[in-house]
Amino acid sequence: MRAAVALAGAELRRVARDRTFLFFMVLLPVLIILLIGITISSNEQIRVGVVDTGRGALSSSLARELADDPALTVESLDSRADASAALRRSEVTAAVVIPSDFDAALRAGKPVTVPVLVPGSAESSQAALTAVQAVVGRHSAAVQAAAFATDRRLGSFDQNLGAATRLQQSNQAVPLRTEVVDSASNFLPLGFSYSAPTMLVLFVFINALAGGAAMIQTRQYGILSRSLAAPTRPRDLVGGEALAYLSLTVGQAVLSVGIGAVLFGVDWGNPWAAAALIFVWALVGTGAGMLSGTLFRTPEQAGAIGPAIGIAFGMLGGCMWPLEVVPPSVRMLGHATPHAWAVDAWVEVLSRGGGLTQIAGYLGILALYAAVLLTLASLRLRRSLVTP
Amino acid sequence: MSQAVMTEKAVMTLEASGLTRRFGDRVAIEDVSFHVAPGETYGLLGPNGAGKTTTIRVVCGLLAPDAGEVTVAGLPVAATATEAKARIGYVPQEVSLYPDLTARENLRFFGRLYRLRGQELRDRVEEVLELIGLADRGDDRVESYSGGMKRRLNIGASLLHRPELLVLDEPTVGVDPQSRHAIMESIANLGTAGMAVLYTTHYMEEAERLCDRVGVIDHGHLVAEGTRRELVARVGEKDRITLSATGSLALFAEACRRIEGIEQVDTADSSVHLIATDGRRRLAQVLAAATVTDTSVRSVEVEEPDLEAVFLHLTGTALRE
Repeated sequence: MRAAVALAGAELRRVARDRTFLFFMVLLPVLIILLIGITISSNEQIRVGVVDTGRGALSSSLARELADDPALTVESLDSRADASAALRRSEVTAAVVIPSDFDAALRAGKPVTVPVLVPGSAESSQAALTAVQAVVGRHSAAVQAAAFATDRRLGSFDQNLGAATRLQQSNQAVPLRTEVVDSASNFLPLGFSYSAPTMLVLFVFINALAGGAAMIQTRQYGILSRSLAAPTRPRDLVGGEALAYLSLTVGQAVLSVGIGAVLFGVDWGNPWAAAALIFVWALVGTGAGMLSGTLFRTPEQAGAIGPAIGIAFGMLGGCMWPLEVVPPSVRMLGHATPHAWAVDAWVEVLSRGGGLTQIAGYLGILALYAAVLLTLASLRLRRSLVTP
Repeated sequence: MSQAVMTEKAVMTLEASGLTRRFGDRVAIEDVSFHVAPGETYGLLGPNGAGKTTTIRVVCGLLAPDAGEVTVAGLPVAATATEAKARIGYVPQEVSLYPDLTARENLRFFGRLYRLRGQELRDRVEEVLELIGLADRGDDRVESYSGGMKRRLNIGASLLHRPELLVLDEPTVGVDPQSRHAIMESIANLGTAGMAVLYTTHYMEEAERLCDRVGVIDHGHLVAEGTRRELVARVGEKDRITLSATGSLALFAEACRRIEGIEQVDTADSSVHLIATDGRRRLAQVLAAATVTDTSVRSVEVEEPDLEAVFLHLTGTALRE
């Protein structure tokens, strides 16, 4: 055991001095988390243009309510022509044109229509229309209440409208949340909640494969064969290499969690489930790294081919984009990689509040991958040590 | 019973008996037997491919023999591998160190493999650095070292645990003359300090200078062993005495022929060549003969037969590089 710890310590010391490896371990994951997080960000705020041609108290209050809605980012526009131009330039998703007779019609109790301009392909404007409809409906409700009270001679329209609005504000409506679902009704996490865990999965694996170069170098330096002349056994050396890779993969995972939480505000969900997932994935990475160290013949091969394999597995396994957006056949193929199971488990933990029980199946599958990889790698390494 | 035998018989630090190792159809070594006593430096001399490294790998427990047995300090290597290995310091032919770690870090690593810990480990690392002359470069990475410095550190890493047997596999290959001299000095000192040393080389002068006894190995067989003088006597090689002289060389040659032990006398221009047994002992009589025959001797050179000649005689070939 002491020999294993000594070997692991020496290997880790070497890795800590390798600037290239540190770049791949620390800096690159931050950049990629940032990039992918922004790219597939949910962008919850919808940009809407508002043209207030009425400029009365009621049209102004509607414009203000639209601006205050947390789901909307409102851009004030001067005319219908400006609204059309903004839509063409995709500066806004929809434009609300408050008509000039808006105030007069409402005060007279006459019907009034508020046009909402949308581009040719209305699909992207659907969310905007829904949000605008909700605001206009809320505004209309206050106006209707004021009109009703005025009709009952309970005060002036303006007094009643003020009272109705205050009442509306103090009694919040039941909120709704929009969530994108796929055909199987899986919640799709977006933004950093997706990019941080998937980059953890991706980089633990890639760096483990590239780290196979360190084991090849150690063999090439003659350290392992010389170590066997000391009072050590082959299993001590296999254990030492495994310990080194496990430390690296756990370190990489913990670093990714820290970066995600501190820099990108990711909530990693149930800590026990997250810890178990990190550990099992680190074991998968350890097996993959050790196998890389025994399969490749030169450090250059491991450094070049390892990351390429890691990226390919990451793409297939849903680390670059959600598997919910790919065809079912590709999704099935992706689940041939351990990455897909790990990503599924993280989605369960982060997006559905899953705990150990909910991800037990995923952990079992990942543990099986880890066992196969570790067994293969250990057998190959041991054979290389004892074969003359 | 065996305890009693052990106490009666001097325990050799290394006993190798009947070692045989094949790789497929190729026989690397066959029936190789030798021993190394405490404080003795034993040289395994042979050309590349003769079986030296295979013998060493078997001795160090890195390779299991097909037949034969190795014991180190009375412990069979095959049966008590880790205990026996703890008594051996192995210096491989190639420099086997982490180039991206410092000398101190390398020594600490190997020290831990040999079960050293804490203060003892720290002390031994400093002692060894001092011993190999790298104390002032201990915190430099090995990759910045010269070839000779790396070789010295390579040896130092095997001395940390104070082994009873030091096994060196051609430790001076590719080393500059100055470092080679330093390495050989260090090894000579280890022998005098009581450590048994098994040293393989294909350099005759190293074997002659360092080794108390030499085993000549060729094509996997130990063809002869003994001290240099024993080996020379076994093959019957004679000393050569060359005198540069002026005067009556013919008379001088005649006088030399009458000296006991002088077996052959030749004259050429201004020199006389003698072949003699134990040439140094005949020198006084030869110089006396020169005086008697009024011959003026300007220089004398005595060439004793070396291991190169022994090897040539035993194997029929010159030592292959």
